[in-house]
Amino acid sequence: MSSLDYFLQLAVNGVVTGGVYALVALGLTLIFGVLGIINFAHGEFYMLGAYLGLVLVMRLGAPFFVALPLAMAGMALGGIVAERLVFRRLRRTDPTQSILSAFGLAIALQTAALQIFGPQPAVIRTAFGATPVAFAGVHLTLQRLLIPFLAAALVLLFHLLVRRTWMGLSLRAVAQNPATASLMGIDVNAVAAATFAIGTALAAGAGVLMGSVFLMQPTMGSMVVLKSFTVVILGGMGNVYGAVGAGVLLGITESLTAGFLTNDFKDILAFLVVVLVLLLRPAGLFGQQVERQSL
Amino acid sequence: MKRALEGGTIVALVAVPWLFPDAYVVHVMVVVFIFSILATGLDLVMGYCGQFSFGQAAFYGIGAYTSALLVRDLGAPFWVTLPASTLVAAAFGALLGIPAVRLAGHFLAVTTIAFQVIVTLVLTQWHGFTGGTAGITGIPSPPPIHALGRTWVSFDSPQGYYHLSLVVALVVVTLARRLTTTRLGQEWLAVREDELLAKTLGINTTKVKLLAFTLGAALAGTAGSLIAHYLRNVHPSEFTIWTSAEIVAMVILGGRGTFLGPILGALVLTTLPEYLRFAKDYKLVLFGLTLIVMTAFLPQGVLGGLRRLRDRTGAA
Repeated sequence: MSSLDYFLQLAVNGVVTGGVYALVALGLTLIFGVLGIINFAHGEFYMLGAYLGLVLVMRLGAPFFVALPLAMAGMALGGIVAERLVFRRLRRTDPTQSILSAFGLAIALQTAALQIFGPQPAVIRTAFGATPVAFAGVHLTLQRLLIPFLAAALVLLFHLLVRRTWMGLSLRAVAQNPATASLMGIDVNAVAAATFAIGTALAAGAGVLMGSVFLMQPTMGSMVVLKSFTVVILGGMGNVYGAVGAGVLLGITESLTAGFLTNDFKDILAFLVVVLVLLLRPAGLFGQQVERQSL
Repeated sequence: MKRALEGGTIVALVAVPWLFPDAYVVHVMVVVFIFSILATGLDLVMGYCGQFSFGQAAFYGIGAYTSALLVRDLGAPFWVTLPASTLVAAAFGALLGIPAVRLAGHFLAVTTIAFQVIVTLVLTQWHGFTGGTAGITGIPSPPPIHALGRTWVSFDSPQGYYHLSLVVALVVVTLARRLTTTRLGQEWLAVREDELLAKTLGINTTKVKLLAFTLGAALAGTAGSLIAHYLRNVHPSEFTIWTSAEIVAMVILGGRGTFLGPILGALVLTTLPEYLRFAKDYKLVLFGLTLIVMTAFLPQGVLGGLRRLRDRTGAA
C-alpha cells in the first residue's frame, strides 16, 4: 500500500466518524443557538438512538433504512418529553441550572441504559456491513461508505427544514430574540419542543449510523458529547454550518493523527485544539466575531 | 450563641467514630470531608469570583497523582506529599487561569471542560508515568505520630484517618472563610457582580480571577492528597468530568457564595446514594432524577431555600 493510498484510506475513515460528529454537534449547537441551553445529556440521546436502532434491527428484524427514521422519530419524542419535563422551567434562568439538570438527566439515562441493555458491547449488523467496496485504492464496507452520504442527506434535510419552512422561520426568530418572536405571535414553547425534537433526532440518527459500524456501549455518549462541545466552539457557537464543517474536519484530523502519529493522542486532540483556538481565534474557525468576553 | 453552635458541631464531629462505631459511617464521613474541601475550593471560583469551572476534579486528580508519584518514585512521606500536592495543583490552577481569565460564559465553561478531559486522558493514557487505567497502588497511610516513647495517633484505621481528614478539612475550610472576608474576597464579589465596574474602580480583575483559580485548585490538590493516602491507591476513573460535575452540583445545590453551602452540598450529595440504596441497581437513576428536581425547586440551593422559607415565615 503506497503512502498516498494510506493517507486516502485514513481520510475516508475520518469522514465516516466526522459525519457522525457533525450530526451530534449540529443538534447541540441548534439547541444552544435557539434556547441557550448547553445540553450535557445530548450524548445520551445519541446513545439511546443507537440502542433503539439495535432493538429495531436485531430484535424486531426491521431493515436498516426503516430503523433509521423510526429511531430518529422515537428519540424526537424523547427530546420533546425532556424539554417539557426538565428544561422548560429553566429556560430563563442562570445557565448553570440547565447544565446541572442536563447532568442529572445524563446520569439517569446512562445508568438506566446500563441496567436495561447491560455493559456488553453490541453492534447493528446489516447486509451492507458485509459488502466490501474499493475505489481509488481505498477499501471499506458499503455500510461505512453509506454513513457520510446519509449524514449529508440529514444535514440537507435539516437545512430545508430551517430555511424553507414556517417552523424553521420561527426557530430562527426565537434564536434572534425570544421576546420579539413571541410578540410576533410565535409560540415559543412549541418552538422549544421542535428544537429539541430536531436536535435529539439528529443525535439519534448519528447514534444509529455509528452503531452500525462501531461497537456501542451505554457509556458511548460521554466522549462524543464532550468532543461535540469542542466542535460547537470550533464551528462558532450557534453556527450550524460551522459545526458541520468542524465536525468533519475533526473526524479527518483524528484519523490522520491515529494513523501517522499514535492512537493514544487521537482523543486528546480536539481538546488541545479548542484551548489553543480559544486563545488565538476566539470566534471559532468559521465564526464571525461574537462577544466572547464579558468586557 | 453562634460560637457555641460552632463549638458544639466540632465536638459532635470529633465524637462521630465513638457514637457510630460502624466503619462504614466513618468511611462515608471521610469522603464527605474530602468533598467539602473540593466544594469549598470551587466555591471560591464559582460562588465568590463568579467564574464558571468544570475542572475541579482535574486538580483533585493532579493532587492525588502528585502524592502517588512522590511516594512511588521518591518514597516521600505524607507530611511532604500533602503540601506538595497542594502546590502542584495550585500551579496547574494558575496555568488554566491564563486562558480562563480572558474568557467568559460558555467559552470559559468549554475551556475548563477541555482542560478536565485533557487531564483525564493523560492520566489514563500515559501508562509509563501514571500507570494508565490500572492507576497507582501501594500508597501508604500517613506515618503514626510517636513521641515520648509511645504512639499517640495512628492513621491506618478509618477512625484514625477520620480525625486526620477532619482536622485538615477544618483548617482548610476556616482559612477559605477567612480569605473571603479579606480585601481579596471583597474584590472577588465585585468581579462577580459587575466586572466592568470592578475594573473601573481600579481592581486588577485579571490578577483577582487568576488568584481565585489558583487557590480553588490548591484546595483540590489538598483533597487529592488526602484521598490518595486514604484509599492507598489512585485510579483515573475517580477524576473525570463526572466528578467535576458532581462538585459543581454540590456548590450550586448547597448554596454558592456561602460558607456552609458547599459543605452542606458535599454532605447531601455524598450521602444521597446511601439513602437511595433501596433502589439497588437503579440508585444512580434516582440520583440523577433527584438532581433535576433539586435544581428545579431549589435554584438558590438548600441554604437559599431555607433563607427564603425563613423570610416568608418571618414576614407572616
